Amino acid sequence: MKQIHFALRSVAIAAALLATLCGCHEVEEYANDPRGNFEQLWTILDEHYCFFEQKDVDWNEVHTRYSAMISDRMTPEELFGVCAAMLNELRDGHTNLSAPFNTSYYRKWWTDYPQNYDKRLVEQYYLNYNFRTTGGITYAVLPQNVGYMHYSSFSYNIGEGNLDAVLAYFATCSGLIIDVRDNGGGSLTNVETLVARFTPEEMLAGSICHKTGPGHNDFSEPYKYYYSPVAAPYLRWRKPVVVLCNRSTFSAANNFVSVMQFVPGVTIVGTTTGGGSGMPFSAELPNGWGVRFSASPVRDQAGHLTEFGVEPSEGCTVNMDPKAAYVDHRDTMLDFAVNRLAGIN
Amino acid sequence: MKSCKFLSAMLLCAALGGWFRASAADKAEGDATVRPVNSSWMVEAGTSHLVDTYLSPLKYAGWHGGITYTRLQAMKLDPAGWVQRMEVEADADKAKNPAGNASLLRVKLASHWGMTRRWRLPHGLTLGAGAAAGVDVGAFYSSRNGNNPVAAKASASLSATAMATWATRVWRVPLMVGWESAMPLTGVFFSPAYDELYYEIYLGNRSGLLHPAWPGNFFRWHNRLTADIDCGSATRLRLGLGSELFSSKVNSITTRATTWSLIVGVTSDWISLSPRKAAPVAAPRIVYAY
Repeated sequence: MKQIHFALRSVAIAAALLATLCGCHEVEEYANDPRGNFEQLWTILDEHYCFFEQKDVDWNEVHTRYSAMISDRMTPEELFGVCAAMLNELRDGHTNLSAPFNTSYYRKWWTDYPQNYDKRLVEQYYLNYNFRTTGGITYAVLPQNVGYMHYSSFSYNIGEGNLDAVLAYFATCSGLIIDVRDNGGGSLTNVETLVARFTPEEMLAGSICHKTGPGHNDFSEPYKYYYSPVAAPYLRWRKPVVVLCNRSTFSAANNFVSVMQFVPGVTIVGTTTGGGSGMPFSAELPNGWGVRFSASPVRDQAGHLTEFGVEPSEGCTVNMDPKAAYVDHRDTMLDFAVNRLAGIN
Repeated sequence: MKSCKFLSAMLLCAALGGWFRASAADKAEGDATVRPVNSSWMVEAGTSHLVDTYLSPLKYAGWHGGITYTRLQAMKLDPAGWVQRMEVEADADKAKNPAGNASLLRVKLASHWGMTRRWRLPHGLTLGAGAAAGVDVGAFYSSRNGNNPVAAKASASLSATAMATWATRVWRVPLMVGWESAMPLTGVFFSPAYDELYYEIYLGNRSGLLHPAWPGNFFRWHNRLTADIDCGSATRLRLGLGSELFSSKVNSITTRATTWSLIVGVTSDWISLSPRKAAPVAAPRIVYAY
């Protein structure tokens, strides 16, 4: 009996000790007031944001500057204004603060650049409103016997059947223009689906890494990932391709351009893309506001960070001429792409 | 870690010790021992407090529900001393963030099998201690997140278990009060890295996803206090309280789940007979699980 009592006592003490020592991995809590919400937001970014170094942002200095603007008596809208301004210091289109009454959005990554795309201009004066649409892709054959497809968002899922229909329709064309101007991104799995129609063999698509801890320099080794050609019987495109992009080609669309630039026979035409190469994470504040931010950097095949955009192929930088667009109804970027495929430039 | 390994080794030795002693006991008892199976179905409902910092730094609160099946049987190797226990459990939790504008859903499936050494004491008391091996799989799902909406959970663990029962009567009604407790001591569990997206895992980066578990980084304490009320039939009504304290921290990701629940169930003893074997001889020795 003594042994049993001793064993029971030991188990009880050990269990209590374990519960005390191990049972509560602490989670830091912030008050649901302006100060608490501000500190929670700053801490989330401090521990998870991935581009402090590349953007030369001193986050502690940012805290000092914006913390002085926080008052316990400020309204939610005032707090939102301060927090949104603080996030804009990151100059990141993937970083947003969402409240019931507003969502902050850093816009200067595209508002400081020409628009370079007019959907109406293309559909009216190039396609004569005679085009097909499937899986988010608008497509038609141009008079120069060049296939043209505009993919407006990688959020639209594209199926293999959709792509087979598009490529079969272009079977007799001499080349193909993939227009991803104003494509703000979406799912990277759609990037892989589309690239698989153009790469002749398995290719190194790029690399991805992630933060391994809350320190600003806590990153994993880049992990290389590969895309394979689509398997038979699906159609592959082996003729010349021009990818047409502008500054509003962002996020997954930016990634698409960064991959396609290394596919043989592909030319990138237009202007430097908008970037957005940090895969975003989400978190939230005690008052229920949501925050999204870049957390996992993606690099291209050459190991270059494409957060600041992908440049066009050499000699293929071209803007849309506003006079040509609105007086002569010409899209000079699209004209350049057509001429490129025709071997004129 | 050393202490965990030592404790695990001790549990294994205790089990093996029981098995060797049982060999002799079996020969003496022959086939005359009948070992009824005690099986229980329980549903539970209560409160839940959840945190998973991969999804959100906030603590969520809400409800917990679950259904559990347990099966106990005196072991053939030493019916009087050892009981084998199997438990299958399905849980679901839904909780809201402090602002009430987002939900966190948790689902969990668990299956454990273990052996318990029991000691019968005077006054209807029985105490037991043992070990169990099991697998838990599940996930946390956040309704508001984009690229990180899910935190998958999986673990394989070796737990220390303890139990106590007290057979008594209340107003001449037979009552069995029971307490069961389990705590993983070692094992492995799944976790992505700090900010590793599941998309990166999908791309093929599967390194560093499994982590050795010990109570310092993977703590779970499961308790169940029940009262089986004899209703005059072979099936008894079970009422009780359950709790689970879970907390893990790895790669700077903290996950916590604390549940408290009321339990309602039925429990019964039944005898399993194989048609390929002869029925027990007359006047068999019957050893119950409790």
